[in-house]
Amino acid sequence: MDALAEGMPMEGCATYGAPARDVIEIGGLYKRFGAVTALDGVDLTIRAGEFVAIMGPSGSGKTTLLNILSCLDTPSEGRYLLDGIETATLDGKAQAVVRREKIGLVFQQFHLIPYLSAVENVMLAQHYHSVADRDEAMAALERVGLGPRAQHLPSQLSGGEQQRACIARALINEPAIVLADEPTGNLDEKNEELVMALFQQLHAEGRTLVLVTHNPELGARTQRIIRLNHGRVEA
Amino acid sequence: MAVAEKPARRGRRGSMFATLLFKALLRRGGRAGVAAASIVVGAAVVAALMSLYLDISIKMSEELRAFGANFYVGPAVAGGERGIAEDTYAAVLREIPNDRMVGASPLLYGIVRLDLGPAVMAGVDFRGLRQISPYWQVEGSWVGVAFDERNAMIGRRLAESMELKVGDTVTVINRERTQNTRLIVKGIVDTGAAEDEQMFVNLSLAQKLLNLPGRVDFAMLSLIAQGPEADAMATRVNAGVPGVEAKPIRKISQSDGQILDKIEGLMALVALTILIITTLCVNATLSAMVAERTPEIGLQKALGAENRAIVSQFLAETALICVAAVAVGLILGFGLAQVLGQAVFNAWVTFRPAVVPLTLIVSLAAALIAAILPVRGAIGVVPARVLKGE
Ligand SMILES: Nc1ncnc2c1ncn2[C@@H]1O[C@H](COP(=O)(O)OP(=O)(O)O)[C@@H](O)[C@H]1O
Ligand SMILES: [Mg+2]
Repeated sequence: MDALAEGMPMEGCATYGAPARDVIEIGGLYKRFGAVTALDGVDLTIRAGEFVAIMGPSGSGKTTLLNILSCLDTPSEGRYLLDGIETATLDGKAQAVVRREKIGLVFQQFHLIPYLSAVENVMLAQHYHSVADRDEAMAALERVGLGPRAQHLPSQLSGGEQQRACIARALINEPAIVLADEPTGNLDEKNEELVMALFQQLHAEGRTLVLVTHNPELGARTQRIIRLNHGRVEA
Repeated sequence: MAVAEKPARRGRRGSMFATLLFKALLRRGGRAGVAAASIVVGAAVVAALMSLYLDISIKMSEELRAFGANFYVGPAVAGGERGIAEDTYAAVLREIPNDRMVGASPLLYGIVRLDLGPAVMAGVDFRGLRQISPYWQVEGSWVGVAFDERNAMIGRRLAESMELKVGDTVTVINRERTQNTRLIVKGIVDTGAAEDEQMFVNLSLAQKLLNLPGRVDFAMLSLIAQGPEADAMATRVNAGVPGVEAKPIRKISQSDGQILDKIEGLMALVALTILIITTLCVNATLSAMVAERTPEIGLQKALGAENRAIVSQFLAETALICVAAVAVGLILGFGLAQVLGQAVFNAWVTFRPAVVPLTLIVSLAAALIAAILPVRGAIGVVPARVLKGE
């Protein structure tokens, strides 16, 4: 499968609907925090357009893995190719560039800037990427159903609305992959359903999505579940 | 390559930066206010001491420039005959020890008509005037010969309004139109003060034109004597020559200059101490601000902000607080300078524009130094650590 992916010409590979391009390719990945081995030899491939769930008990290394996938952290050992870029050797500045060019992040705690409106929060991601464009940011909020709430501060939005603003922000720079760590952990069932439906819609549009969750029902609605246990991928 | 083609973004690079800057500052209004208040105090003290120092220094040199004279001799009582007699003036000069005398000139003022209009004319002793006015700038040359009644000197602005140049001839007519004489403009005087509007001729000629033979209005002397010594000289003249009043001229005098020299170090020390305290206060406030904003900074980094972007945002916030604080500090500082000026030099302090950039630079330097550690703290934020859920 790897050979097939590597053999594919990168040019002419459309983002959406391409069958076999590897967005993420991880081999022999270790992450140690002192005596604690959070990731213990992880091998993993995620292809363009896949919707993958990472599941596992608390402390199994899900967040650690996601941090490495999102270039917020570096592995102690191992190889990580993101959209064809070897990330292990990148310096801090290059990591920042990869984050803004390739990654869309969705957090359990939303992490919207409290004094910026929803649309300004989206524009901030544009700003660090290239340049803020209000019209484009507004369109992104409309797509997640937040058009009428775009001028509100996060404190004036419900949890579900904040999470949808966060998703709009994650998508605004057309990332190679969207990584979400327990995105519904702070939401009620109704909003959980709304966010999950949104993810499924994004998947249908051809986006590549990784969802960390401990909820088996949500996991079941993805294409593939990767189970972590004590820092290892279960067969 | 994974990025699909999409229309180019429209927007200005600076506008989001500005939005972030102002909204972040407004959000932390309280802390920004505390930082601003410390800078206001620092800037006010620096501005006050700098104003005082600059102004007193400038005033001293201006007075030297305007008039090397430090001694005035005039009539003791008003009324009676105008001014003092030339003989009395000569008697005053005899009271001054030769080794103390730099120069002296009598002055007799009157209005005359020139070709193009009226002017103030001063009758002087050119040789003495030159000795007591070492800083006058003269185009052409001084009138040198005593009793020269053919040449005159003329102030720069008067020369301009009368359209006179060095070497021109000018007709001088007295007010009663009973006398007139033709004079050659030998030199044009530039002092930046009242002399620029006046015309200078020999005393004997002025006396004739004004019909005041043997009189002078007052005399200015330049003596080597300071403080108590100058006072003693005045007492001696007043006792020795009846009918005159002699007094040292002292606004900002040499003795004030000595005070200035003595407290110069003290002022620098006070300014430095205040600046250090300001820096510490601002440092503490900015550190608290960075600590509060740790999740925000983590998020900005997660969104792909480089350290450079984080640094420039914090420095811009600091600079903005600082500039606003300096504006207030300058106003307070100018008020404080008046209090100090009155207390120490018994003088009002004139606003000197140089104080503005100097205070701004010093305050900005203090604020930016104060920002070094907090900004390093901001750079050190690890997004993976601060964005963790749960
Ligand atoms: N920064 C850290 N320092 C030390 N230990 C850590 C750190 N981050 C995670 N760990 C440890 O690594 C293991 C995996 O943690 P994590 O990835 O957060 O698990 P999960 O997200 O699956 O609950 C845990 O034992 C945790 O205590
Ligand atoms: Mg976790």
